[in-house]
Amino acid sequence: MTLPRPPLLSWLLALVFALLPGRGLAHPMPTTTLQLDLHPSSVTADLALPLNELQLATRWNLLGNASALEQYGPQLRTYLRRHLAATTPSGQAWAVEIGEPTLSQVQQAATGPYQEFVVPVQLTPPAGASTRAFTLRYDAIVHQVVTHSVLVSIRRDWERGLNKESGNENVEVGVIRTDPRTGQVPLLPVNQAQGNAWQGFVGIFKLGMQHIAEGTDHLLFLLTLLLPAPLLAVMNRRPHWGAFGGPRRSLLNIVKITTAFTVGHSLTLLLGTLRIVNVPDAPIEALIAVSILVSAVHALRPIFPGRELVIAGGFGLIHGLAFSSTLAELDLSPWQTALSLLGFNLGIEAMQLIVIAVTMPWLILLAQTRLYTPVRTLGASLAVLASLGWLGDRVGLANPLGTLADSLGAAGPWALLALAALALLGFAFRRAGNQGVSTS
Amino acid sequence: MKKALFAVPLSLALLLAGCGTTTTDTGGGTDTGTGGDPISTGTAAEVVTAANAFLATLSTGQQSSVVLTRTESNSTTWSNLPVGAATRNGLALSSLTETQRAAALAVVKAATGTAANEGYDETTQLLAADDVLAGSQSGYGSGLYYLAFLNTPSTTGQWQLQFGGHHLAYNITYNAGAVTGATPKFTGIEPKCWSVTGSTVNVITSGCPAPGTSGSTTTYAPLYQEQQGMVNMLAGLSSTQLASAKLSQTFSDVLLGPGEDGQFPSTKSGLAVSGLSADQKALVLAAIKPWVQDVDDTTAAALLGIYENELDSTYIAYSGSTGLTSTADYVRIDGPSVWIEFVCQNGIVYRSQIHYHTVWRDHTRDYGASFSF
Repeated sequence: MTLPRPPLLSWLLALVFALLPGRGLAHPMPTTTLQLDLHPSSVTADLALPLNELQLATRWNLLGNASALEQYGPQLRTYLRRHLAATTPSGQAWAVEIGEPTLSQVQQAATGPYQEFVVPVQLTPPAGASTRAFTLRYDAIVHQVVTHSVLVSIRRDWERGLNKESGNENVEVGVIRTDPRTGQVPLLPVNQAQGNAWQGFVGIFKLGMQHIAEGTDHLLFLLTLLLPAPLLAVMNRRPHWGAFGGPRRSLLNIVKITTAFTVGHSLTLLLGTLRIVNVPDAPIEALIAVSILVSAVHALRPIFPGRELVIAGGFGLIHGLAFSSTLAELDLSPWQTALSLLGFNLGIEAMQLIVIAVTMPWLILLAQTRLYTPVRTLGASLAVLASLGWLGDRVGLANPLGTLADSLGAAGPWALLALAALALLGFAFRRAGNQGVSTS
Repeated sequence: MKKALFAVPLSLALLLAGCGTTTTDTGGGTDTGTGGDPISTGTAAEVVTAANAFLATLSTGQQSSVVLTRTESNSTTWSNLPVGAATRNGLALSSLTETQRAAALAVVKAATGTAANEGYDETTQLLAADDVLAGSQSGYGSGLYYLAFLNTPSTTGQWQLQFGGHHLAYNITYNAGAVTGATPKFTGIEPKCWSVTGSTVNVITSGCPAPGTSGSTTTYAPLYQEQQGMVNMLAGLSSTQLASAKLSQTFSDVLLGPGEDGQFPSTKSGLAVSGLSADQKALVLAAIKPWVQDVDDTTAAALLGIYENELDSTYIAYSGSTGLTSTADYVRIDGPSVWIEFVCQNGIVYRSQIHYHTVWRDHTRDYGASFSF
């Protein structure tokens, strides 16, 4: 089995597109969306019903009603039970379970903002029947409001490498709308081609890469940890970072640190995905901010010299827990879970290696010049500020620093360019001027 | 936070996918080349002259953007969405010089009716309404209206005039120097009424007065006659007739909007016009008139004659309330040929108000009967 070629270019492009402002798109009227997640033994779905159209269909008092959810939640579930069903191609009924509705706000450029009920749904076929082929009978709202439409799409499908987490576009299945000619609401056949383990593996591999590429906090942690890697710690009465430790030692340090981080997050990723440990997201996210803070302080003044491995490994454990909820949500078979763990880890590694490959050469060059101290101090100070901002955000204190930190990712490519320019300039200058490396 | 980031492009992609479906799912029609029967010669020759005059003001590159091949796909490319959400054929008025723009509007003027507040007068007011919208939200404005010719305009061959943008879509088909189709024609309006005093624009938020000028203030209500015609038609019915005319379904938009070509209901519903008194029939015809008058006067008269002859096989229906003042108030006229829908929708930019969507189609003359949907 050969690994796929690291799609660096496509990732860079994806990052560029992520930074572009979204184009305003619209639809004639707010539509219902039904997003399906295909699992080996069931289909789960999120059903989103716009309140204005639902009100027209049911005559419920929903618009401008602050307690619409409390008042109509139970009725909505009863209503949906009457209007949603699935059968196997041979006509056997599936079990339908309607979850608890929530209320959310949608921004839609041409129809203005509107509110919708979002209802989780679980559809379970009879034993032995496939979850990939079934007939959907859904006519909520459209049974009455004949101009309404329901967009049905597949959001997650492991076998075909489809997971909304990596920003894949949903695969459209069809539109349910009353046929104007007959006045009937047609049944919607869902018949999804089989995927395979390789597509599933690649999908999760890309997801792993995406997690690092888009996880500004994970990236910042990694970079902060690497910032002092080329230097030797001087542990006297006032511990500080000293001279360049040599390219060999620097590289070895980097390899050790990233490996320890990988070992740590792989372990918790495994435990979390198998649901052996189950830790809520909020404290994990806060701990990740703490991990950045600690590494940033260490980059300023050595506080754990020689124990970088333990620290990187320990924080890896925390970061792994943050990843694991993603995989657990996919609700996979044991075999798919095993492949996913491997694919996800390899994706994370691949992206980390790419980040290291484009960053470390400049750090190693810079570490041999006098410019490194200000660069390291600036970088570490920014990381301190960002981590404090995130920490505030994640313990419930929204702050401008946190918002700013979230947008750091956008500045990444520019920071990298600046770093490269500085490194080349500093190195050339040092050669020309034959300056020695600061050794004090 | 990350989930929200994913949700934005995802929902946009989904919406795009949905829009794509509604505009492309039109079946496999083909241009028969011959087209349908002529309705009237109308102003076909003047329109061709104006079209050639307009083309003469354009560069070669611009000409190739305006004159397109008449395929089913190009013919059915029109929408009631802002142009940012659905592209139009041809050149935008905003891309033209003053001279070119005047020449473009001269084509539209030649092809449309001369009655006050209908035809060309209504058209320019619909563009003005979009300028009012542009004052409070981007993506609107009279510059975002497009003119296209599908096939080279001539008095011998078959070609289609398209002019439209947000809330307006003209599709007029000509064949051998005659009008063969004035539809589908979409008309909508937001804000539905406004007044202008000097350079001050005031959006009228309660009710909708008749258009006119009083002192230095001019009130605009481009779809006033359309709305009033429908209200009068329903008001002329007895309560028993109203009960027959009432549809059990609800309409939040017109049923046969863009992309719904040829999807006419197989059975007509509502109240049969054949059972109405002469006065009531006159009200039905009067309700049809403001739509038909948007095309050139001769063609309008010819079409109105056809629709009048077919009144006894025509049905009228409504949903919601008869005042046409609330969301989902809806009225329809469905004959052997004529199909008109008028619906009140939520406000989009002026959210406390309703706005109108209307469509005029013809069972046998849409796109000059060139396609079989």
